[in-house]
Amino acid sequence: MASGPIPILKLGSILLATIQVDLHDTVVDAFQHDVLEEIEKTGSSGLIVDISALESVDSYVARMLANTAKMAKLMGSETVIVGMRPAVAATLVRMGYLMSGITTALSLQEGLEFLSNNQNGAVSD
Amino acid sequence: MEHGFRPDYMKILKLDEEECRRRLDFFEITEEDAQRLVSLRSFAEQWTQEITEGLYELIMRHPDSRIFFPDDATLARVKRMQNAYFLKLFSGSYGMDYVRDRLLVGAAHERIGMPPKLYLGAYRRYLALIHEKLRDHFKSDKAESVKALASIRKLIFFDMAIAIDTYIAAYLETMTRHQAAIRELSTPVIKVYDRVLLLPIVGTVDTQRAHQIMETVLVQVVDQQAKVMILDIAGVPVVDTKVADHILQTTAAVQLLGAQTILTGISASVARTVVQLGVEIKRVHTRSKLSEGIELALSIVGKKITAVAPRKDEV
Amino acid sequence: MNAAFMSRSSNSDKGPWDIRIEKEVDIVAVRQLVRDLTKAHRFDQFAIAALTTAASELSRNVWVHAKGGSARILLLENGKTVGLELQFADQGPGIADLNRALAGGYSTANSLGLGLSGTKRLVDEFHIDTAPGRGTRIVIRKWKKDF
Repeated sequence: MASGPIPILKLGSILLATIQVDLHDTVVDAFQHDVLEEIEKTGSSGLIVDISALESVDSYVARMLANTAKMAKLMGSETVIVGMRPAVAATLVRMGYLMSGITTALSLQEGLEFLSNNQNGAVSD
Repeated sequence: MEHGFRPDYMKILKLDEEECRRRLDFFEITEEDAQRLVSLRSFAEQWTQEITEGLYELIMRHPDSRIFFPDDATLARVKRMQNAYFLKLFSGSYGMDYVRDRLLVGAAHERIGMPPKLYLGAYRRYLALIHEKLRDHFKSDKAESVKALASIRKLIFFDMAIAIDTYIAAYLETMTRHQAAIRELSTPVIKVYDRVLLLPIVGTVDTQRAHQIMETVLVQVVDQQAKVMILDIAGVPVVDTKVADHILQTTAAVQLLGAQTILTGISASVARTVVQLGVEIKRVHTRSKLSEGIELALSIVGKKITAVAPRKDEV
Repeated sequence: MNAAFMSRSSNSDKGPWDIRIEKEVDIVAVRQLVRDLTKAHRFDQFAIAALTTAASELSRNVWVHAKGGSARILLLENGKTVGLELQFADQGPGIADLNRALAGGYSTANSLGLGLSGTKRLVDEFHIDTAPGRGTRIVIRKWKKDF
């Protein structure tokens, strides 16, 4: 389904991408390309990006996640980042990256809950 | 000369170029003093031994101070070091190297356990002996003698300040080590209800403790998959901008994980201070009482506290 | 310790390790080495993330702004605990307004951001030597918490 090393699964009307590799330009490009292609193909309204395997997230990755969410939004899909590790949250906050504008949830389940509430028109956050 | 681990006093006391310059300025040590002292170098070399003997005569006369110099070898060594110390006063160069050297001297005294009262008493004697010798040296020229004493006195006081600082730094270092151990025991995260956690913060929150609190809280939130994290600050004695910053960093990090935070225990004075300081508390629920925070947390997870219906046999 | 880590180490496991930063993937190499070292020496998860992220940020700066440079990693010991020192050097354009960069003045929202002020907060020591036309040299240190 995906051309790059980041697998994208379809869960009903939601897409689930699980990041388990070190991120750099070619991987990121492939990922964003794959995500948008999938959204277009399936018309999905929600994207969950699971970062539970990432032990660190630098500004490059933070920007990449934010941009991916923006791209998905333009195509009608809400994005939720799930599984952030304690050390990642601490590092981002200490660096001053508050990732405003990105929705996060503790787990895949909560991410799905958020997306379904969102689709029902419930006010989020 | 370095054996074993010695704390870096320059670092603990923040003695950088800037700080050294400020001190020299406050003690009014000028280029003129430096030049005067350099010109007195031969005076120093001539009299240092006698002055040192005079100092140690006092020290060895009193049982309190005598115990630090138990044998002849030790006494001989410290007298040599005392001479070197004295001569350095007349070096004319009082920058960071000089300060570093004086720190080592102070640290050595602290390390052997000599109490400040003896250390300062010795300095008093030292200054008196130097005064005597200066008077003799300048005989007729009283004005010059006064100027020379003034310059030396400035430097002696400068040195004493550094000596006191090393004592303080050593105590601080010990306290820090103890505090580290206490800190480990002082972040009890409590599970109030399924997916609702509470951390009552009691005591002062310095940077190191704040880091530890954030880390413990984040780990617990993920481990317990908490939806709500309550931070009660009723037990924090002083909430200034720094403390508020620390606490808000933690709440921001919890929110980044995808959980909500509630700050409770906000007293009237804290509310006043926070607003007056211009601290912005965004996206964090706040309540003055912990009980209110718990009620709010429960409502967030879809629960509420209700009165129990009276039992049949209580009617 | 995985095979990749072992093959990267010099004569002993004490380092120092040198990595040229010439391609974007070299950033990953630096990051992975720092991660492996901090894990091998049992830094806590927060310190691992902090050092790995700092290494990533600074290597990326070298690659993006100077189009290349080098990283050197050293294992430190001070009698009480161990630490890691990371050195980044490049012959790039240098930073003109260092105070502004350290205060976070350079935007970190776009790709020209330097993230220096943020990185500084992740480590115990941060030293920078830079000037327009003289390249940049950054040294950071972080010690393992002992208690």
